[in-house]
Amino acid sequence: MKILVPIKRVPDPQTNISVKGDGTGIVTDNVKFVINPFCEIALEEALRIKEQQGGAEVVLVSIGQKVAQEQLRTGLAMGADRAILVLSDDELDAATTAALLAKLVDQEKPELVLAGKQAIDDDANQTGQILASMLDWPQATFASKVEFSGDKKDVTVTREVDGGLETVAFTLPGVITTDLRLNEPRYASLPGIMKARKKELKEIPLAELGVDAKPRVKTHKVSPPPKRAAGRKVETVQELVNLLHTEAKLI
Amino acid sequence: MIEWSEQHIMLRDALRDFIEKEIKPNLEQLEHGDTPPYDVLRKMMRTFGIDQMAKQRFERQIKRDKAAAEAKASGKAEPAEERFEEAGSTDGAALQLIPIIELCRYCPGMVTAMGVSVGLTAGAIMGKGTLRQKERWAAPLMTMEKIGSWAITEPGSGSDAFGSMMSTAKRKGDGYVLNGSKTFITNGPYADTIVFICKLDEGNDPRERKIVSFILDKGMPGLTQSKPLRKMGMHSSPTGQLFLEDVFVEKERLIGESEEAAGGRSGAKATFGTERTGVAAMALGIVEQCLEKSIDYARTRVQFGRPIGEFQLIQLKLAKMEVARMNIQNIVFRQIEMSAKKKPMTFAEASACKLYTAQAAMEVALEAVQLFGGNGYMAEYQVEQLCRDAKVLQIYAGTDEIQTSQIARSLLAGS
Ligand SMILES: Cc1cc2nc3c(=O)[nH]c(=O)nc-3n(C[C@H](O)[C@H](O)[C@H](O)COP(=O)(O)OP(=O)(O)OC[C@H]3O[C@@H](n4cnc5c(N)ncnc54)[C@H](O)[C@@H]3O)c2cc1C
Repeated sequence: MKILVPIKRVPDPQTNISVKGDGTGIVTDNVKFVINPFCEIALEEALRIKEQQGGAEVVLVSIGQKVAQEQLRTGLAMGADRAILVLSDDELDAATTAALLAKLVDQEKPELVLAGKQAIDDDANQTGQILASMLDWPQATFASKVEFSGDKKDVTVTREVDGGLETVAFTLPGVITTDLRLNEPRYASLPGIMKARKKELKEIPLAELGVDAKPRVKTHKVSPPPKRAAGRKVETVQELVNLLHTEAKLI
Repeated sequence: MIEWSEQHIMLRDALRDFIEKEIKPNLEQLEHGDTPPYDVLRKMMRTFGIDQMAKQRFERQIKRDKAAAEAKASGKAEPAEERFEEAGSTDGAALQLIPIIELCRYCPGMVTAMGVSVGLTAGAIMGKGTLRQKERWAAPLMTMEKIGSWAITEPGSGSDAFGSMMSTAKRKGDGYVLNGSKTFITNGPYADTIVFICKLDEGNDPRERKIVSFILDKGMPGLTQSKPLRKMGMHSSPTGQLFLEDVFVEKERLIGESEEAAGGRSGAKATFGTERTGVAAMALGIVEQCLEKSIDYARTRVQFGRPIGEFQLIQLKLAKMEVARMNIQNIVFRQIEMSAKKKPMTFAEASACKLYTAQAAMEVALEAVQLFGGNGYMAEYQVEQLCRDAKVLQIYAGTDEIQTSQIARSLLAGS
């Protein structure tokens, strides 16, 4: 089985983010970048499938600037087999990203695309879904469990939905996007890091894929979340209920 | 080598994640409780495949030993040493030091425990032991499946390790009877395997006796391992005493399996060299952490209406810490380059590196405590721990005074 895992370079969720003065984006100087945590979970799942099935090829794709090599190398060190970097200096919207991935699916012919459900930078939560519809493939989003049939042709996915779990099944090829509780990603090991150096990391200029990358979505303004106002202590339950009614207007 | 490579940073970041999740939450237990560090260390080795690599390294070494032995037996020249990627590249050497540096930012004691077990104890057996001894005792030490101690220091013999040594081995039948006591022995309370260094008593003048080393197992009749001693720092590294009362050992436990090949002074000296080089990486971890914390504190702690970092006396401290950090890092880079080129450091140079880096770590950690004021003295801010831990770098593996005189002696001897 061949599994395509798209990964995105994003600011480390542990770091403090500040917004640029002119509101065009966030300050990226001195910010540590990592693999988007949901993408990392997708990669971990792909590696587990590979180990369980005693063989599979895990191909990473990232779309972005040359520095995204760092995240691809980390993915290779975790155990992916090779990587493709589609070079683009522009911020791409989800539809464009999906179109580029669809193009790569045409070239690579994977049986499965395993992606994160969303990137923690723009929280769009669309790419996997748009990709599946462009390919006309079945999709299972927000996966918390992935199981294959004995012949590896079908897959059953447990999804985390509002109010509970839903189980869906489809015949490959298809697209799965991962939720937080699917697994806990491994660390890149020392032998893994040393082997990663020799693994293939192919760079493709965006233009070569012949996809119309004209942005359809424009970011007008980025602003920080409002500062949380200090809390207030109340003496009695009655007072709390009154305030919820008169001030917060919640009840 | 002038900077860490992308691979190094990848390993560093992965280790930082691991330390954040596995060590920081248990720091209190490791530093102030009685939790030995071995399980966390094993988990780290497993998680990062360090145990696997140690195993492979061991197997390659054994293969080389066997080839050399065969060649010798059949009268051929020894085969040329096989080049292997890992230790033959700066990456291999650096990747081995990075876990030491990162662990030392939080727990230098864990590095002491690991270094003595893997570096010194296994190292001593790998250096002078026979093939059989390596396979039986060194292999499980290298993966930390077993924990090792390397015991030379005695109540009456420290800096003058060989001269004042009282522990003895006397021939008896096919084996030896061992007697003596050892102190300040890292991992002593828990060790499964102990390298015990003593003098061969042939009824001659103690000053002229041969130095021999034996491999002991936990629980051997006559061997007592004390409880951990209370000490100033390095709390995550258990230190203890060993008492030997008529411990009988077969010849198979004599390192080298012959009195001539028994390691002797040169074996113990090779171990001194190893432990000295480890200190620079430890110092780097301590200094990096103290500096980072100090910068942060200088920016945020406000007195007299401004961040204390605006006071020149605080700036002086930060600048001095940075100079020390750069110097230590350069020494570590040099060690990596030399190890990659398989160029051994002279004993005097190893001493100089150890002397400087230990002193620098101590000075930086003390200044960090000062910069933090009252908070610096409180455990919560961690610099007091690093300060207590750093002190021992000037004492073990040869005191500052001993390093100093060895450097000077080597200069005067013109070597
Ligand atoms: C935490 C810890 C862990 C240790 N782990 C181990 C271990 O695993 N295995 C092991 O065998 N040992 C271990 N040691 C022992 C350590 O190596 C010795 O403590 C060290 O070598 C110093 O010996 P000493 O304590 O007997 O001091 P001494 O030799 O008594 O020194 C006392 C003072 O006199 C100075 N001095 C001594 N001789 C001279 C001289 N010729 N010129 C000038 N000054 C001199 C010393 O520098 C020192 O300041 C450990 C020690 C500590 C503290």
